[in-house]
Amino acid sequence: MSIGSPDSTVGIEDHPASAEPERAKGVAHGKSPTRIAMDRLRKDKVAIVCATIVVLFILVAVFAPLLVKLEGADIGTFNPDLVDAYGFPVNGPTPAHWFGVEPKTGRDNFARWVYGARPSLIIAFIATVSGTVIGVVMGLLAGFLGGWVDRIISWVIDFVLSLPYLLFAIAMVPIVEQLRGGSFNLTPAEQAQIRFFVLIFVLSFFGWAGLARIIRGEVLSLREREFVLAAKAIGVPTRQVLFKELLPNLVAPIVISASLALPAYVTAEAGLSFLGVGLIEPVPSWGQTIATATNWFKADPIYLWLPVLGITILVLALALLGDAVRDAFDPKTRR
Amino acid sequence: MQWKRITAVAATVMLAAVACGSPSSNSGSNNTGGGNVGGAQEKATDATAKGPAKPIEGAKSGGTITVLSDVTPDTFDPTDIYYVDGNQIGKLMYRALTQYKLDEKTGKPVLVPDLAEDLGTPSEDGLTWTFKLKQGIKYMDGTPVKAADYAYSIKRSFAHDLFSSGPTYQLQFFKDGGKYKGPYTQGGENYAGVETPDESTLIIHLDKKFNDLPYYAAFPMFTPIPQAKDTKKNYEQKPMATGPYQVESYTAGSQLKLTKNPNWDPNTDPVRYQYPDKFDFKFAQDTIKVQRQVLASAGPDASALNYSNLDVSLYPELKDPSQLVKGPGPCTITWPMDTRKIPIEVRKLIVKSFPFDSWRKVSGQAPDSSFPASTILPPAVPGYEKYELPGMNGLGKGAEDPAVAAEVKAELEKLGKSGFELSWYFSNDDPIATQVNQLRTQVYEKAGFKVKATGVPKAKIRTLTGDQNAPVNMGKTPAGWCSDWPSGTSWFPVLFKSDAIELGNSIGQLQDKALDAEIDRVADLDPNAQLKEWSKIDKKIMQDHLPLVPLYYSASAFPVGKNIGHAVNDMTQGMPEFTSLYLKQP
Repeated sequence: MSIGSPDSTVGIEDHPASAEPERAKGVAHGKSPTRIAMDRLRKDKVAIVCATIVVLFILVAVFAPLLVKLEGADIGTFNPDLVDAYGFPVNGPTPAHWFGVEPKTGRDNFARWVYGARPSLIIAFIATVSGTVIGVVMGLLAGFLGGWVDRIISWVIDFVLSLPYLLFAIAMVPIVEQLRGGSFNLTPAEQAQIRFFVLIFVLSFFGWAGLARIIRGEVLSLREREFVLAAKAIGVPTRQVLFKELLPNLVAPIVISASLALPAYVTAEAGLSFLGVGLIEPVPSWGQTIATATNWFKADPIYLWLPVLGITILVLALALLGDAVRDAFDPKTRR
Repeated sequence: MQWKRITAVAATVMLAAVACGSPSSNSGSNNTGGGNVGGAQEKATDATAKGPAKPIEGAKSGGTITVLSDVTPDTFDPTDIYYVDGNQIGKLMYRALTQYKLDEKTGKPVLVPDLAEDLGTPSEDGLTWTFKLKQGIKYMDGTPVKAADYAYSIKRSFAHDLFSSGPTYQLQFFKDGGKYKGPYTQGGENYAGVETPDESTLIIHLDKKFNDLPYYAAFPMFTPIPQAKDTKKNYEQKPMATGPYQVESYTAGSQLKLTKNPNWDPNTDPVRYQYPDKFDFKFAQDTIKVQRQVLASAGPDASALNYSNLDVSLYPELKDPSQLVKGPGPCTITWPMDTRKIPIEVRKLIVKSFPFDSWRKVSGQAPDSSFPASTILPPAVPGYEKYELPGMNGLGKGAEDPAVAAEVKAELEKLGKSGFELSWYFSNDDPIATQVNQLRTQVYEKAGFKVKATGVPKAKIRTLTGDQNAPVNMGKTPAGWCSDWPSGTSWFPVLFKSDAIELGNSIGQLQDKALDAEIDRVADLDPNAQLKEWSKIDKKIMQDHLPLVPLYYSASAFPVGKNIGHAVNDMTQGMPEFTSLYLKQP
């Protein structure tokens, strides 16, 4: 294959280096696709609002101890005086308990809500990052190296995608507990922590395969492109070709997949905790709270609404932001 | 909700999770309210009661009553039934030698003859009991009931390997009880413990004196079973019914349909009625969902009921108070302490530190269905006499009060037991159990104890806590007890004698020879003389041995649909009395 097709002589003289088409006046020259996308994002009001919300949630999670201190409560203290003999909270929101207290235990709703943002976000972010890194590396290797590497990785991807993830999530917990010395030697806090890491592991383990498959496909089409061939021809080492030549061209699919994975993981964590196979007490989590609160929604609506709104707003913001990011990176969208 | 399913002895393992508290088991309301804990059962008997039972005013015949149950009875084989729900449902199908009739006004149970003509006559030495049998009784297919069938069902109850959930008093008290292995073994048809000299007499021989035999004879285990129809484990699919209803179809674990038994003769039965055409039991339902359905009483749900206590969270949805049936239950729930591992001084401090008030709320005890306990015997058992040892009335803040915490801490130091380690199991996949665990941990650590709580899956906790030698010193099972019949003999000898450890029934693992002797002495007394003595022993155990933290007495408060008539609580079981239900609009 030659550099440039035979009929592409027009314009080559004007732009010998890049062969870029002529641009209208005022458009900056040589902007990278990422820059263009960022510019577009900045003009997208929805994206800005959503990003702000997400940042707010992150701030809430990061400063949870501070916020709770400000309120003057904490997540673990039982306040049975604040619930009546049947377990119903005696008063609604008070200055001491901004969002009221939990039925039965009288623990502070606000504190548990604020702390509940932590596991959701930590799990979603870690799982997304690790899932993305693994997925990208696997996809790059499979697509670029081809041959038996490709066959093995593709097989692994298919294998992972065929595993039932819910069953896997349930089965992992006792196995990991066993590896850590059996449930008899673990404190409740340690057991809760194990659940936390198992959840991260399960989500990233099942998250990378889909991305790897997309990346592999992209790489397959990219690796025959001129600039890659040229880099190979002048003896650029494989690693450099992968990460310097190919990776920048894959930013769009990666960012899109990551931004869509984030809200999915938030929901997955809440869903698994709701079902009782995710996080357990004493780690506060929205999913768990929803599971308990559904029985109390008539008596103590705020108890249910807090985590529900938390999850809904966070997931909605992340999803819309993901959409905006996808649009921004897609050269075909015109606004 | 486990206690709903238990009556006692052999089934102790099942008692396990009780103290961890499940919300649905412990709620409701008492008609007397406040500190007055329902009416006590008196050990009343009426050997002259005759059928038919007095008709219920305004009762109508016809229709189908649906029972939506969250719990699933393990079996309906008469020999194997031991849990209260199995017992109560069994009462619709199986007639035994005796039966409890509930007093119209007070609801108190009176022991009356059922298939027997009398309540049995003991011989002078108390080792031989003679029951006269009613004549002309038929099974649902019209075949007559023979005296040999009664003898056979007693023999069958010794096949404990096969019917392992069933009651076991016969193994302890009946002649050769330890040796005889039931009718299925070689030579098993010959058993010296039971005799039928003629068609109207049943003679039971005992090894040990057993004054409560007439009460024991109310278990479905004593219903006649014709040997020719016995299909061992499959018998529950098509059992021979003598009661007003017979099995139409039974799908283990999910559904039991009962239909009228045409050969039941009301003139022979002083207890039961036959108003609805059918009963439809649906098991393994979602508690909250079905309780909500029953309360709403929309369409067919109006003719439905649920026999678990109403979940506390559903109280705001209870618009019509008559939809909640209340009454005392036969159980006391405790938190046992292993007396072998914890010195008595420390046990006293454990009780002193226990945060009763908070525990009741966190574990979901409703004030009027779970009464704070101060004794071992519940008020529903004769022999109960109310007493309160200082600081032990099932209420109080315990070491949640910083002053008490400091006091306990100082006393622990004085004893040289600072940082005494308390250990227990809890189920870590049950949110309420984990919250209760957090509460206890917080409070006891505040009081200067060290806490080692081990979280285990719900599915495993019964096996672990059921081990009398488990490596924990708190919360071993049985954590509560329900009387098999209204007498102290179904409590103290079973729970607090040294041999209870071996039998797996010990609360607190007491090993005290003097106490053993005392219990044996009282158990041998005349039933009426026992009453006073049991209450003394009750107090003595709590004072000198303190093997448990008394938590609460159970009571029933279950929801019924708006169309259900004559829904009453049977305090012998803490269950609805099914046989007298009817539909207001069939």
